[in-house]
This record gives sequence, C-alpha cells and structure tokens, in this order.
Amino acid sequence: MTDLVMEAKHVYKKFGKESTKTKKIGTQTCLATEQVVEAVKDVSMQIRKGDIKLIFGPSGSGKSTFLRCMAMLEIPDKGEIYLRDECLTRPGVDLNKARARIGFVFQHIYLFRHLTALGNVELALRQVLKLPKEEAYKRALAALADVKVTDCVNKYPSQMSGGQAQRVGIARAIARDPDIILLDEPTSALDPELTGEVIDTLRDLAKQGTTMLIVSHEMPFAREVAEEMIFYDEGTVVETGPPPLFFNAPNTDRAKKFMTRIINRTTRE
Amino acid sequence: MDVWQQLIFLLGGVPVTLSISIISFILGVAVGLPLAFIRTYEKEIGFVVDAYEKILRGIPEIVLLLLFYFGLGAYFPIPFNSAFFVAAFVLGLRSGANQSQIYRGAIHGVGDEQIIAATSIGLSKWRAIWHIMVPQVMNFSTAGLGSEYALLIKDSAYVYVIGLAELMTKAIQIKSIPPGDVVTPFVLSAAIYIALTFPLASWLDRWGNKRKKKLGL
Repeated sequence: MTDLVMEAKHVYKKFGKESTKTKKIGTQTCLATEQVVEAVKDVSMQIRKGDIKLIFGPSGSGKSTFLRCMAMLEIPDKGEIYLRDECLTRPGVDLNKARARIGFVFQHIYLFRHLTALGNVELALRQVLKLPKEEAYKRALAALADVKVTDCVNKYPSQMSGGQAQRVGIARAIARDPDIILLDEPTSALDPELTGEVIDTLRDLAKQGTTMLIVSHEMPFAREVAEEMIFYDEGTVVETGPPPLFFNAPNTDRAKKFMTRIINRTTRE
Repeated sequence: MDVWQQLIFLLGGVPVTLSISIISFILGVAVGLPLAFIRTYEKEIGFVVDAYEKILRGIPEIVLLLLFYFGLGAYFPIPFNSAFFVAAFVLGLRSGANQSQIYRGAIHGVGDEQIIAATSIGLSKWRAIWHIMVPQVMNFSTAGLGSEYALLIKDSAYVYVIGLAELMTKAIQIKSIPPGDVVTPFVLSAAIYIALTFPLASWLDRWGNKRKKKLGL
C-alpha cells in the first residue's frame, strides 16, 4: 500500500524508573516505590494520505506523549514508527531529516521568541531545506497568507494574540510541505473567542487534503472534518470509529461517559 | 607633575586597559557559551565544566597572572613572555568560567521548549542551540554580562604585577616620582575606572531590559 504516510506499531512509552528503595524517615525504614507512568501502552495506528484523524480522551491519558512519539520528539521504549517506508525507531536513522517531513503544532505554540513571524516560518526553509533566500521568503509569505496572518509578518511572538501566534505556529509546520501534520491540542491554550480563527485555519487545511493527526476536544470541528475519531484513555486506544458513532452511540462505556461529559460541557457553554 | 599632566599620563594607559578587557571579554564568550551548553545538555561530561569553573574561580587573579607569566613563561616563552597576552588570556579564561554560569542561568530561563520546537522542524540539537538558544540566551544575559564587563575592567588593574603599561601601572609610576604623590594618581585612576565601567554596563542593562520586554523573555 503506497498511500500509507505514517504507521505506529505497538508503541510503548513509560516515564520514571521502576525502583524500590529503602528510605529512612526518622527512625522508621520504609519501602519507597517510584511511580511509573505508562503513557502509551501498545498503541498501533495507520494514517493514509489525506486522512484526518482525531484523538481525544481524558487529560493525562497519554495522548500528547503518543503524538510526540510519532514525531520522535519522545523516543518510544518499544514498538516501531514508520514514515512512508522508513522505520524511524531503528538505530542510525537520521531523525532530523525525518522530522523535517513531519509538521508539529504545539499546545503551547512555542514560537521562537527572538524571531518575527516571517523568521519563524523561514528558519526551516533556509536552514533545513536549504532553499535560496528569495524562494524561502516567498514560500514563508505564502504559508503566512494561507493561515491569514499577513498582518503579523514582521511582528514578534510577544506582540501577537494567542490565535495569531498559533496560526503562525501552523504556518511554521506547513511551510516546508511535510507529509503529515501532527497537532497537539492546538486550541486548548487559547481564550475561547480565539479558538474560532484557529479552527477556521484547520478547516481550510482539511479542505486542501492535508494529512493530519489531531489531538483535540473541539467536538463540532471533529464532527465536521474528521474521518475517524480515536478515543484514547489510560495509554491505549479504547475505541475508534467515524464521528457519528461517537455522537450517537459509542460501543464502550468509557467512551459513552466521556462523550456525555464533553457534550454537556459544550452545550452549557 | 600637576594634575593635568598626571591625568594625561594616566589616560595613556586606558587603551591597554580597554583592549585587555575587551579581548578577554570576547575570549570569555567563546569559552563560556560552549561550556554552559555542554554543562546543560551533555550531562556525562558536565563534571569537566564544573572542575574548570571551580578551579578558575577559586584561584585569585593575581596568582593566575604570576603563574602564567613567570611559571609558564619560563618554559614557553612564546607566547607567555608577553605580558599583554598573559593578561588577556588569564582574564579571558577566568571570565569564561564566570560567563558559563551566567549563560547557564539564562538557558534555564529560556527553557527547553524552544529546543523541542526547533528539533520538531528538523534542526539537529546543536544547530537548534546555535540558531534558537544562543540569540535568546545572549538577550537574557545582558545584565550579567554588563557586570562581567565591569569586573574585567576592574580586574585588569591586577595586571600591574606583570608590568604591563595599563592604567594602574601608570598610577604607580606617578607615585614613585619624587616627592611621591600618593593621593592624586589613585583618585584620578578611580575616576577613570568608573568612567570606563559605569556607562557601558548600565547601557547594556537598559538595552537588555528593553529587548527582553519586546521579545517577552
């Protein structure tokens, strides 16, 4: 199958080390076990060209960690990540080259603070793709125009609103024309009135057929653009299916409970 | 010598004082920046940096100067027989140890997220450090660097022990001219040191604060 863009096979990632130590507290000796968090437990996933998949689930369940594993920003303890035909988890792979083909959008944006919007987008084009100055400039401007922040071209991140900054973050991810874009809760750190403009940008990207894996709780948006929703809890994929499945009658109790909570919250707002 | 003659004589030492301080400051940047990043991002060899900092910060300036000039100078006349070279070299190495600590604080202030974001666009760790961290760290460190520069101007006074004709050496020369004015040359040189340190250090501080505000650092 040639249209497979990314694949995760049995990915596993934990934080903290399993160790039991004896600790002396006052006169008493007790066993202290360090907490191990299994953020990703045997998760597999396939993403084809043009797919838009949306991961959702309770906070702290490991969604972000899984997404970071996909971009190899966290190195999985077990399992394999494929980008096209290349296995990224094999030792000796040039991860920098691979990451250049994966766009990543962060929850807390993380724009480069000493660079303007243009500088933020240009950097990868100049330093990673090694494009000539003129071409990098043109492509960066085009990317900024795509996300409709042409008024911010020469502004520093601290001079932008959260919504503008996140759209620049998206421009930074799409400018080098990556195979896939991974978005980690792109709207959850924004004020409610600013999420709309970011969602509009994502909707545009969806229309252009961009391959995306999104962690998000924007349910109306999910219903509109996602081909598949993935309910993720306690480090595993609990249930997958098209949006109507989740909005009407999820199969698992956990998904049902979570959907009710989220839909109630949305309607209250 | 009257006051004006003394002043003109002392000002003759200012170019040497300034060039020692500026060269050692630049050497300090070249030594301190890599050390700070190695200490932060290459934990396995961080102890080497620690040892370097402890040793250079733990030995008095004057001992280092004498050790390099007379000690190393006896075995390696080139380049250690040059008082100017030894002065800039010793002050630079010591400043590297100080600056390493300034930059380390700044690296923590800038935060790891910037590196994560830079690697996510396909930059390697060390290129991310160069393109993303170094410019921000320099902005972050302006206040510390201002006082480090002032320290270098002041510490260059120790150089009189190896006989380089900088400001302090000139003041001592005036003192030794009979009948031996012990007040005026030192009052004048104190004023010159203040004129050399204060304006630049405070300008750097103000400029840095403005930059930090603009970049939201």
